[in-house]
Amino acid sequence: MKHRTKYILQSALFLLCIFSFSALCIFFPDKAQSEAERRPLKQFPALTVSSITSGRFMSDFEAYALDQFPMRDAFRKAKALTSTKLLAQTDNNGLYEQDGVLCKMEYPMDEDSIAHASQRFRAIYDSYLRDKNVNVYMSVIPDKNAFLAESSGHLSMDYEALYSEMAQQNDFAEFIDIAPTLSIEDYYATDTHWRQEAIVDTAEVLAASMGAEISGKYTTNTLDAPFYGVYAGQYALPTEPDRLCYLTNDTIESYRVYDHENSRAIPVYDPAKADGSDPYEVFLSGPLSLITIENPAADTAKELIVFRDSFGSSIAPLLAEGYRKVTLVDIRYLPSAVLGEYIDFEGQDVLFLYSTLVLNNSSTMK
Amino acid sequence: MLFSSISFLYFFLPCVLIVYFAAPQRVKNLVLLIFSLVFYGWGEPVYVLLMLLSIVVAYFSGLWIEKSGTKRAKKWAMGLGVSIALSFLLYFKYTDFFIENFNRATGLSIPLLRLALPIGISFYTFQIVSYIIDAYRGTVAAQRDPIALAAYVTMFPQLIAGPIVRYSDINAQLTQRRHTLKGFSDGVGRFVLGLGKKVLIANSLGALCQTFRASSDLSVLYYWMYAVAFALQIYFDFSGYSDMAIGLGKMFGFNFLENFNYPFISASITEFWRRWHMSLSSWFRDYVYIPLGGNRVSKSRWVLNILTVWMLTGFWHGAEWNFILWGLFFAAVLLMEKLFLLKHLEKHKVLSHLYVLPIILVSFVLFNATSLSEAWNDISSMFGRGNLPFISAEAIYYLRSYLILFLIAIAGATPLPKLAIAAMQKTKAGDLTVSIAAPVVLVLLLLLATAYLVDGSFNPFLYFRF
Repeated sequence: MKHRTKYILQSALFLLCIFSFSALCIFFPDKAQSEAERRPLKQFPALTVSSITSGRFMSDFEAYALDQFPMRDAFRKAKALTSTKLLAQTDNNGLYEQDGVLCKMEYPMDEDSIAHASQRFRAIYDSYLRDKNVNVYMSVIPDKNAFLAESSGHLSMDYEALYSEMAQQNDFAEFIDIAPTLSIEDYYATDTHWRQEAIVDTAEVLAASMGAEISGKYTTNTLDAPFYGVYAGQYALPTEPDRLCYLTNDTIESYRVYDHENSRAIPVYDPAKADGSDPYEVFLSGPLSLITIENPAADTAKELIVFRDSFGSSIAPLLAEGYRKVTLVDIRYLPSAVLGEYIDFEGQDVLFLYSTLVLNNSSTMK
Repeated sequence: MLFSSISFLYFFLPCVLIVYFAAPQRVKNLVLLIFSLVFYGWGEPVYVLLMLLSIVVAYFSGLWIEKSGTKRAKKWAMGLGVSIALSFLLYFKYTDFFIENFNRATGLSIPLLRLALPIGISFYTFQIVSYIIDAYRGTVAAQRDPIALAAYVTMFPQLIAGPIVRYSDINAQLTQRRHTLKGFSDGVGRFVLGLGKKVLIANSLGALCQTFRASSDLSVLYYWMYAVAFALQIYFDFSGYSDMAIGLGKMFGFNFLENFNYPFISASITEFWRRWHMSLSSWFRDYVYIPLGGNRVSKSRWVLNILTVWMLTGFWHGAEWNFILWGLFFAAVLLMEKLFLLKHLEKHKVLSHLYVLPIILVSFVLFNATSLSEAWNDISSMFGRGNLPFISAEAIYYLRSYLILFLIAIAGATPLPKLAIAAMQKTKAGDLTVSIAAPVVLVLLLLLATAYLVDGSFNPFLYFRF
């Protein structure tokens, strides 16, 4: 009798589990976006004869079923808890937490990726900057792993080797070392990016190295909405949110910012974006291929062109204080081959400012 | 379709369970056949036809054998059926290997066919061959019901990665099988356990092996870690799949034979092969080794028989030289054991285990290599070739990160957990606890495996390529 109860319980629980999740899979409406993972979720694949005979429908269906699985975030959390707490694995999909700070193991150094990024930069130099009376600079932003890996026992790249590699492969540019100005506290705990309010000294070093001057005096504005950065969702375990701040002063408030990709004026800071899927888009409205910042209060005619990734969005308003005009270019979204159609390269300061995260994964640079 | 996929667990399985148990007894085989074809077609939409053709060959070969009046005619029928079934396997799996080596030997450049390998062809071909030969030997009667035969060959629980279920073992169950609550419950337990082995352990160790392969911070320690991780991965992957197959079989009223019996506790390689992929080794024993004369021949012929069987065993796993070498490596060790080593090993239990484990590790490194040069590099690096450092930062990091998983996997590869549960069940209270806890633990395991799948972890099935 006791065994019969066990058989009934075992069979019933199993059937209950697979049938309930099956029903939820079928009847729950599909979501378009994962807020935690900040990515679009796969939708039901097209059902055609060719998609079936090629097997594409089946593989796409599995990807769709995984993405749209009911309580997906709770399951991801269960997996993260099991792997980090129960199995004591030192990272979960490459992410780890150290003293409340979430970090990704950016490892190992991808020589090919570094070379690809350098090739793109050199192509830009050869096409647009050589013999154009421009001053070319390069600086590399270390990711958080550079500061945490050693103390937490995680793997990390040889950052000094990476800086030196970049300096060597891009010898047309003067290398500005900003690493000494940075520490782990200068980054959001839950995000990849640096905090604008913590990088004033970094901006000063960059500006000074390029012969520009910035005030260094700002008012700090803190947004009410909690900021859960990109790592918070990826890590899948509960974390304390950051607070997102932005810096203003009279000069910054006088900037005229133009988004050439969408032909529209945009604000320097857009606090409404704090409620969106990526609150870091507060700074210069997020990932845009070509932006110009005009500084009518500038007492100089100098102009700056920054080839940048997303880190550039928060430091550019600070650097713009020292220039009449700053042009921000993201060659992940705007192919470098067409830059000549949009920018007249002559006499500017040109800064290649990239994070190690992008340099080490540079396949999207065009 | 993979057992360890959301498509299978939460779409296919609920459907097949509803339809199968709602269907009357007389159409249950048809239901199994239809769902099995969908299961196979999900991954191989075109090659379903090839499998059906193989079944037609098996069906008519069986009938022809039975109808033939003379032994000679039966032999012809058997020979033709087996040849056709094996020709499909040879064509799709081995043609490019032969062309490549022929080109290499002659300097010619005959173009390769570059055919995709039909999933599970090695498994279902061997099942068909065993059916035809058994019909010829008279150990089974030819199956007159094509649905029953097709249901046997295509049966989705064991279709694509074994175990190699012989027709003679489930012949009776095809026509008359009992569906019991105990059978279903045991099947559920076995299936979920296999799913956990595959998803939680094999996939995690597989991810470590993949990390190792991409590493540029190698060391002797890292090579050994890789060897251990891969040996455990392939064990939990394949035995997990066999558990799932056996469990699903039980749910549908079939009893498949066991395929693994804690191979890593073996005290000799001879014993290892009695515990590892038992359905394959017994297939080669019964359909190749014994027909060749087995050990009842001259010593030189016996050595040749062993070499032939193990070369074929290796070749069955893949059309690459490293698989052939892998088979011959085991042939050499088995010959040494049979000729003189076994009697010494029997006297030294601890030493015998210490002797077996490195051989198994080295063999799986050879097995997993993509070329002979990679195999040589991997194996020689395990022994410090080319001033390789003994430890590296990456090796230490991953050893720390995977330590508990390694310990769980090592313990799980022994009978210890089973013995511990059996010891608990000896007391009344312990038995009650196990009876109540087991169903709950199994459901938690199912949910955890689902969590790992949803998180998108590494999920290959190693034995699919065979």
